[in-house]
Amino acid sequence: MKLLEVKGITKSFGGVRAVDDFSFSVDKGEIVGIIGPNGAGKTTAFNLVTGVYPLDGGSILLEGEELAGREQHEITRSGIGRTFQNIRLFKGLSVLENVMTAADPYSEYGLASLFSFGRAFRQREREVRAKAAEFLAIVGLEGYADEKPSNLPYGLQRKLEIARALATGPRALLLDEPAAGLNPSEVQEFIGLAGELRERFGFAILVIEHRMEVIMTLCSRIYVLNFGKLLAEGAPAEIRANREVAEAYIGKEDGTCFE
Amino acid sequence: MDYFISTVIFTGITLIGVLGVFLITGLTGLFSLGQAAFMAIGGYVSAVLIRNYSVPVIPAVALAIGAAILAALIVGLPTVRLRRDYISLVTLGFGEAIVALLNNSANITGGAMGISGIPQLTTLPVTLASVAVCLTLVILYKNSKYGRQCLALRSDELAARSMGINVWRLKLITFLFAGALTGYSGVLFGFYTTYLEPAAFNWIISAEWTIIVFVGGVNSLTGAVLATILLTWLPEFLRFASEWRVAIYCVIVLIIVNYRTSGIMGDRELSLKAASKLLARKRGTGQ
Repeated sequence: MKLLEVKGITKSFGGVRAVDDFSFSVDKGEIVGIIGPNGAGKTTAFNLVTGVYPLDGGSILLEGEELAGREQHEITRSGIGRTFQNIRLFKGLSVLENVMTAADPYSEYGLASLFSFGRAFRQREREVRAKAAEFLAIVGLEGYADEKPSNLPYGLQRKLEIARALATGPRALLLDEPAAGLNPSEVQEFIGLAGELRERFGFAILVIEHRMEVIMTLCSRIYVLNFGKLLAEGAPAEIRANREVAEAYIGKEDGTCFE
Repeated sequence: MDYFISTVIFTGITLIGVLGVFLITGLTGLFSLGQAAFMAIGGYVSAVLIRNYSVPVIPAVALAIGAAILAALIVGLPTVRLRRDYISLVTLGFGEAIVALLNNSANITGGAMGISGIPQLTTLPVTLASVAVCLTLVILYKNSKYGRQCLALRSDELAARSMGINVWRLKLITFLFAGALTGYSGVLFGFYTTYLEPAAFNWIISAEWTIIVFVGGVNSLTGAVLATILLTWLPEFLRFASEWRVAIYCVIVLIIVNYRTSGIMGDRELSLKAASKLLARKRGTGQ
């Protein structure tokens, strides 16, 4: 049994089948890629797994536990963390607080402890703050704790998204175009970071990306989506050689887009 | 001097009500246009218990706050799952319904004639102590996991859910806390004026509190406190302008809202850390 097994998920919006009978799986310590042309349903697939939309059909098993039909926050707490393609950081909060917020749902203290300035409250706040600082250091944002996220350059905002996802304590981490908008050296840095995270936490990583260098370097397997359907699945070399995949991307027989 | 003390007491009572609106609008980004109804519930319940049933003061106050929380639960439970704009509609309806209820249950509440003969228990020290306690509770709330999560869901509800935040529960807890504070401000109000009438608690009061929070800066508790003081005292200072004072008041509010779109304080708070930073910057530019 793989860590995360998604079977036959389906979702229609009106008459459009955005995701059609899509199955995939990721195991511990594995990085798996999802690619496909714009509008292929990649982000919708992530939204289905994380419970943003209810499923029309299919099942989502995290170590055998069925997640389909649960609320978004319950799915996150079960161990699926994610980042967003269009960065969605919390504006009113500092960089450190953004990360703390993702750890807060695990804080047990209640209003009684808070209003009496109790031990549970003070101790837990200290723990969460230290933990959040640690996650910031992992992604290399230790000097920016008190900044507002909107003051950070784009590349650092992407890193903050990852730090925040780490604080939710994921067993499976879903990265939605983590390298979009990054310059070449930042892309290399991200590839290094993703590898480090896998070593350090041993979780499963699922990544949607258009930058082929990211996908081809990091992923052991790749799923290709087109019009909501699975077009191909396999190791990077196989996908690179797959004529159908090339056609889906550029419409003719030319594999050079993967070079 | 009496006039001065009375204005301070009214400012304190308003501030406690504004704190409730700050929690709902400033922290969580929701609008309650019926918040004054909780003030009415607090005031009426404590007044009726003491006057008609001779309940001692402390249990009466506790029951009044409890009634406000219960009312917040009844309104909140079905509404927190609604879209933000619907929440304002439901609370507006609830507020007006409470006023109508008070008007129409004359045998208990005195109807439109109001209820009089409430003991005057709200003194200056009581007000100041109440403000200190309520403000401390709200400061703790803002700087805890609750406050952070509220700000997160105000900024981006979908992302907040994705970080494992139970958005409905959090909205409900915040709504109940705000209801309790506003209910208590109603208790203080009744015990000061010794007279309550339904017309004092319509949506205009709720709207005024929301204006105060916006003028202060939606994300700043310091701003809410300053704006409460400013906007409660402003009409008093403008007394010389007699009938023009409402117009002048409105113009001042409009100027602030237009030229400082994020309120007087934006999302800044007054703290030792912020003050020392500001001083350091001043010194830095001086050299």
